Amino acid sequence: MAEYGARVAGGGGEPLPERDIVEGFDLLIAADRLFGADLNPTMIKKSGKGTPFLVRRPPSRHRMLALWRELFGNRVSPKVFLDALAPEVLGLAHDDGLLLFGKDRVLYDCQIVRGSEAVGHLTLAFYREREPVFRFLPFPRRPGRRIVFIEGISLSAQSTGYASSLFRHYERLFHGLGFHRFRLKASLSVGKYYWAKEGFDCEDRVQFREMRGKLQDLVRRFDLPVEEREIRRLTHAGDVAAFRRDLKIPVYRNPEGYYAVTRDGSHSEEILFPLGKAFLLCSDPWDGYKVIYTDTPRRTGLVWSEGFLDHGAQPGHPESPKRLEALFGAIREEGMRETLIFLEPYVPAPESLHAVHDPAYLEAFRKAVARGERHFAVQDCAISGGSYEAALLAAGGVMAGIDAVLSGRSDNVFCAVRPPGHHAGRDSAMGFCFVNNVAAGARYARSAYGVRRIYILDWDVHHGNGTQALFEEDPLTFFCSLHEHPSFCYPGTGRRLERGKGPGLGTTLNIPLAPHAGDLEILEAFEREVVPSIEAFRPELIFLSAGFDAHRDDPIADLECTEDAYVHMTRRVLELADRYCEGRVVSVLEGGYNTESLVASAIAHIKTLQGREGSPCSSARG
Amino acid sequence: MFVGPRMKRDLVTVTPGATLKEAARLLKAHRIHHLPVVEEGNRLVGIVTDTDLRNATLDGMIVGADRGDSGRPVTVGEIMTRELVTLSPGDTLDDAMLVLSRQRIGALPVVEGERLVGIVTKADILSALLSTLDIEGLGVRIEVVLPRDVKEVARLIGALGDARVEVRSLVLAPHGSDRYAAFLRVATIDVASVRNLLREKGFAVGELSDFYEGR
Repeated sequence: MAEYGARVAGGGGEPLPERDIVEGFDLLIAADRLFGADLNPTMIKKSGKGTPFLVRRPPSRHRMLALWRELFGNRVSPKVFLDALAPEVLGLAHDDGLLLFGKDRVLYDCQIVRGSEAVGHLTLAFYREREPVFRFLPFPRRPGRRIVFIEGISLSAQSTGYASSLFRHYERLFHGLGFHRFRLKASLSVGKYYWAKEGFDCEDRVQFREMRGKLQDLVRRFDLPVEEREIRRLTHAGDVAAFRRDLKIPVYRNPEGYYAVTRDGSHSEEILFPLGKAFLLCSDPWDGYKVIYTDTPRRTGLVWSEGFLDHGAQPGHPESPKRLEALFGAIREEGMRETLIFLEPYVPAPESLHAVHDPAYLEAFRKAVARGERHFAVQDCAISGGSYEAALLAAGGVMAGIDAVLSGRSDNVFCAVRPPGHHAGRDSAMGFCFVNNVAAGARYARSAYGVRRIYILDWDVHHGNGTQALFEEDPLTFFCSLHEHPSFCYPGTGRRLERGKGPGLGTTLNIPLAPHAGDLEILEAFEREVVPSIEAFRPELIFLSAGFDAHRDDPIADLECTEDAYVHMTRRVLELADRYCEGRVVSVLEGGYNTESLVASAIAHIKTLQGREGSPCSSARG
Repeated sequence: MFVGPRMKRDLVTVTPGATLKEAARLLKAHRIHHLPVVEEGNRLVGIVTDTDLRNATLDGMIVGADRGDSGRPVTVGEIMTRELVTLSPGDTLDDAMLVLSRQRIGALPVVEGERLVGIVTKADILSALLSTLDIEGLGVRIEVVLPRDVKEVARLIGALGDARVEVRSLVLAPHGSDRYAAFLRVATIDVASVRNLLREKGFAVGELSDFYEGR
């Protein structure tokens, strides 16, 4: 897709000289295709019909140039851009295509025609976002995302596939031009289902949760055979659109083409649709968006929720909410907001964890929290009032990450979850872990998406005994752990001779490292053993149990890694993931107890996941 | 720590008349190295090991080459060790360890009178040690050097108890003439804090580097 941008810019992706841009302006003005526009919002008609603004003389060349530079980085000339906006698709073309320059935005307005017959209308606006939309923490103001706003689209004939094809073309075009998002406003109500199906999500998360609630109401009202937990795991409007295709319900259409779930005077024509589609067709309008581009070579998702902070800890406990607060503060300070796709986790139903934990164990955990106890099972596992929900949310975070990666909404994902999970076994909490997030994720990827071969690489300094125990008999889940030698380090398992059991013999690989091993030793072991094992296993999905406590500044163990080791391993894993599983990597935070080294390592890791060049790191082979 | 509860009771045995071939088959099939040789009534008369078999085969080949087939041993009775070191179920594991170590042998038959009732091998002793030291249990090892005073040991245990540290195992060994070395396995991930706590209380806690620089 990057190539497309280069082609638009006329080679190399370098900005065009300003005289080319001005030449383009002049050409369009002479052809009566470029105007100024009065964009006083009260003047903009919402109907999407006719011209929704007052057209006037273009502003000065100087102002137009400044705006063009801000929005398009001079990577495309106005004439080429206007042509690129009007491809002929499915026998439909654009006529009367105009570029309009407002104070802070450029608009595109056109008729959609079949031959000489007008069949529709399209208005787009291009601007740069100013206001932070990410609500729970204020971001410093900085040049915001570039937005393609779909002001209006109307077609006399529905369901022609035209809009799908056109917006697929636009997605490539605007990805190349560095635009971050499509946005659309609620008044484009008829297409609610269409937009969700095309990957648009609710801009407003509160609104999305309401949408999910209404779906639940609908299910209850008609007593449909749908379980609450199925609805709870929906995190994206696209998931709703595809929800329960197997279950058809009737909806009622009125002559204007609007739908309702109950028959009344005007909504009289009965049609059967799959549940998700039927629900969205009848739902309230919502503001939508879709991520086009993230400023980085790979689109990386970030699973994050304030809910992870609700698992409090007693003073002096190393696994504290401060870990994540510091990490998130750094993500903000590094200006990574625009470059990450924020993913919302959900609290999964306890039943969805039964593939990894005994129901009685989860229930005992819930009760211990409810009774207000200070520890669960062992002294290490301190709990507070929010611990149960937070632990479930952490597993749900991994599931939401898997949803994003396997549905293609992001290339890979970092799940900044806590409490960590890799020590938690089927019925045991230990080492700060309650619910095995990665294991729950692996089982979910298998049951919900049919992923067969899963490789789990655990580079936390401690052996992932919980994960190993859950998969040691499973030949399709490869568990590999790099950790400090068990004779010196918690939990005292993960010796070389632990290689799996029964049918899973050989798909467990433990690589203990001597105390004080550093980047050189860990990378040497990584290249010599981990890489060949991934190559031999050919996974369809790779999980990282990414603890950052092997860092030399971490207080809790004795390895001496630096960020460089994490950058190198991340890069190599991505290369292998590209080769075997379309780059699909789900990375899940485990340990890391010195906030500074945790933050530095995790940021370097995330940036590498995004495909950015990290700090130089010495190859283990070099 | 008596031998009785730790010894292996379901035994693979042979009679003196069994062929070497049969003995070799049994050793291989059961993946063992020692075959007690018994007569009627489980009366122990000897033991034959894989080494005995190997030596007999080699001898037979060498001697047989000199003088034809006739001298080659055929039965277990011909090659078994007859002078046996044995234990009784009332002996202790200490006895077993001392004998195994001093005599440099791999297994000790256990007899009641002349009747064979069990066998104790080096592997049995190792697994007894593993479970005593809880090597496979979850936890981390800490090493503490103490003055040779049982009050210091009490203070150490008290400090761990006050901090509610779960101790999985504790081995107290003499260290020089006036000190103890205590080997503890504690079940906490935050072992750094435990080490620091003990140091604050004035205990000499081994550094990891001790293992490395001292080797």
